[in-house]
Formats: sequence, C-alpha cells, structure tokens
Amino acid sequence: MDLETALSKSAQLHLCDGILRGALLRRRAELRKSWRRFISSECLESLGSLAKGIESFLSGQDAFRDWQFAATVTWMNCDATFLDCVRTIALAGMVEYQPSDTPPPRLLPLDLSKLSSNERFEALYARYRCPLNMGVASESDIAEELLRQLMVQDRAKLEAGAEFGVDLILLKLNLIGIRALITRDLRFLDAVNYFYELPQRSLRRMHANPRFLSFWLCIYAQLLSTPDWQKCGLR
Amino acid sequence: MRVAVIAGSISGGIRIAKEIENLTGLDVFVVVCNVGKRSPLLRWSRELLLALKSFEWGTFTARVYSYSRKRKLIVLPRPLDDATSIERLRSLQCDIGLHAANVIYHDPTISAFRLGILNAHIGILPKYRGRCVAEWSVLQGDPTGVTVFFIDSGIDTGARIVLREFIPSNAWNSVRPLKNMLFGCDARLYRKALEVLMQPGVRFEGNDVSKGRRYYVMSKMFIRIVDEILRDRANLVR
Repeated sequence: MDLETALSKSAQLHLCDGILRGALLRRRAELRKSWRRFISSECLESLGSLAKGIESFLSGQDAFRDWQFAATVTWMNCDATFLDCVRTIALAGMVEYQPSDTPPPRLLPLDLSKLSSNERFEALYARYRCPLNMGVASESDIAEELLRQLMVQDRAKLEAGAEFGVDLILLKLNLIGIRALITRDLRFLDAVNYFYELPQRSLRRMHANPRFLSFWLCIYAQLLSTPDWQKCGLR
Repeated sequence: MRVAVIAGSISGGIRIAKEIENLTGLDVFVVVCNVGKRSPLLRWSRELLLALKSFEWGTFTARVYSYSRKRKLIVLPRPLDDATSIERLRSLQCDIGLHAANVIYHDPTISAFRLGILNAHIGILPKYRGRCVAEWSVLQGDPTGVTVFFIDSGIDTGARIVLREFIPSNAWNSVRPLKNMLFGCDARLYRKALEVLMQPGVRFEGNDVSKGRRYYVMSKMFIRIVDEILRDRANLVR
C-alpha cells in the first residue's frame, strides 16, 4: 500500500499543517523586521496620526481577529467609509455593521472586466464600502475574478516592469486579503504571498498610495498569524 | 484515425509520435509551431540543441527523415492561431490533435480537428484547474495525477475527460522532479487515451467545473512548504 493510500486526507493535512504553520510564523517574524522596506519613512510620515498604529501593529505581536462569521452573512451595511472600514479590519479592530437580507444587484465578473481601470476602482470601492462583504458567499464570482486579474494580468505587468494602476491593484490586494481572512482559502493567501515576494523595484510604485499599502501589509500580518488554514482543505 | 502532435519543437513532437506511431489504425503527423515567434536562427539553434540533448541522435534523425519524407513533419512558419497555420492544420484532416506546445488554443485552432485537441493536464480534474496544480494537490493533501481531456478555449474547462490516472507523489522529495515525472507521462497517457478513443461507443467523463477551483502560479514560500511536505513524506516511506 502506498503512502497516499495509507494516509487518510485528514492525516495528510495534519502532516502539512505543522509545516504550513511554521512557515507562516517565520514569514510573520520576517515581516516584523522588514516591513520598513515596503513602507518608507516618507510613506509613514504621510500617514499622519495613523502611522503610530500601523507601526505598532506591524512591529508588534501576532494580533488577528477571526472574521469567519462574515461568510455566513447575506450582506452587511456600514455607516463608516470604505477607508475607515479597511483601516479597522487591517488593525484587527471591530467593524460596526448592520446585517441585511437584501444584497445589492449582482455584479457579474464579465461586467467588471468590461469597465475601465478608473470605473473598476469606483465600482469596487462603492460595492465593498463594508469590505467584509468580499467574503460573503454571493461574492465568490467577483472574488475569483479579482484573484484571476491579480494573478494573471496584474502580476505580469508588475513582473515586466510595465505601467500599472497602483490604487486599483492595492485595492484588489486588500480585498482578496480580506477574503482570505474570512474564507481561509489558501489561494487567496498565496496571491498575497506572491505579491509580497515580488522584487522591491516592482513594488516601489506602490508607495504612491501609502494608506492602501500599509493596510494591505497589516492584513497580510493577520493572515500569517491565522492558525487554522488547513481546515479549508477538509471542506 | 489521423492524429497530429502539436509540438513546440521537433524533438518534443517526435518523442510523442514515437510512443503512438505503432498503434494500429493510426496515422501520425508532427506539427511544429513557432512558440514565442522566434527568429529562424534562434528557432533552428534551439531545435539542434534539443535534439542533441535527447542522446538518441541516430534514432532521432532517422525518425525526422522518415516523417519528412512522408510529408508528415510540418513546420509552421507562423504562430499557431495565424490564419495560414489554421488552414494548414485543416488541410491535414486530422481527427485529434495532441497538445505538446506551450501555447493557448483558440476556437478556430481547436475546430481544425474533427474531435478536438487532447491535453495531458498534470492535475486531477475537475478539482484542480490551472497552474501549479501538482503542488496545490500536495499542499491540500489530495492525490496527484494526470487527466487527459479535450480542451476548449477556457483554462482546463473542456467538458470531455478521456481518462484520469492517479500517480503517487510519495517517492519524490521535491516539486521539480515530481513535476518533471508527471509531465513525462504525457506520451504514455496520450497512447492510452487514443486506445480508449479507438474503441467503439466511447463514453467521456464530464468535467464539472463547479466541483473544482482554478489555481495560479505558486509563491516561493508555498513551493518551499510543498518541498518540505514531499521530503517528509519521502522520509516516511524509507
């Protein structure tokens, strides 16, 4: 009997889990030391009063909030702005929301891909005013489309050193990071890994939006501190 | 049945043709397309290098000569989806194409073959579509293997699966040799798929995309994790 037959799926996942957890924590430790490579002093300064919170979150211990409940909600409405909500999520705070049974009209991936870069940004920004909605079941098609765009076109642009829309890419990275926090889908976590690993010269242009950049890194820090990734493999 | 191996190099095409050419009732062509629109000098230097690497220079040249003489080795000067290339493919009146080139197929190319183009995908469909699927299978504790199916213009979404073969990954202690082994199964599995297709009343397994996910290129961090998992499992076997 070969090993794959002999080991049940849960036993195999248990084997993988320790290795995955160790690697994520090592990356978190690395991020704790090296986040200044991503957020320069000028970037940090431009964040104003937010800088201190970002700095202590990235340099501090492994804080994370469990957002999995969001996957079970139909829709959430927030009074706060998109930026305020992302900041709260990024710093593992509590987002105030009102559950709703009536989600907005469905946004189709095809419709999204037809929009110009600016229109796409506006559409996502408005739709995900409460960014936790990125993790609800009805948004999985859009989440898949954002993942595809990031890992196919956007990745290719960054790797080739071509021009790219900083705001839109960072918005997508924040949203897929939030999706990963909620759904524990390893593909979404790995997309964040992939962009984090890109050479610094590819990421330098992202300094143009220090808020989105720092929120993204804080979300990544939470993803790395999340303990139960392999559970999704059993679903 | 007329079959064309669509290859990115002569040596790649001949390797697969060699495996299937003695199947009874099969007429095999090798179509070499210009992947990456290389210049003639670059293209032929690469061909020469690949042929030399095969270490079977004598057999290889004999086969190339034989296929050329029978006009069964077709070198397309233009990209595969160019109108002239598609016209040339149509003129061969092939039933099946075998994917062995690093290209994306569009509908006009696929429909140049009566039954379509087969792909030996190094993952188990419908669960694992896209890239790095062997690595993702290992990471998520699933079996590795190869699926031979008829492609459509989507990413591993073709509806007709001809066969799936589970191939254990536990003897391999890192990703690269595991993937090389899986990629290297293509010729044998194409042969097996053609044998299935030549039987009367063949039935296909469906490829229900709702039962799977599309995967993407893996980060260096996750590749290192998969390497570690493979190494640990290989040690357990020993």
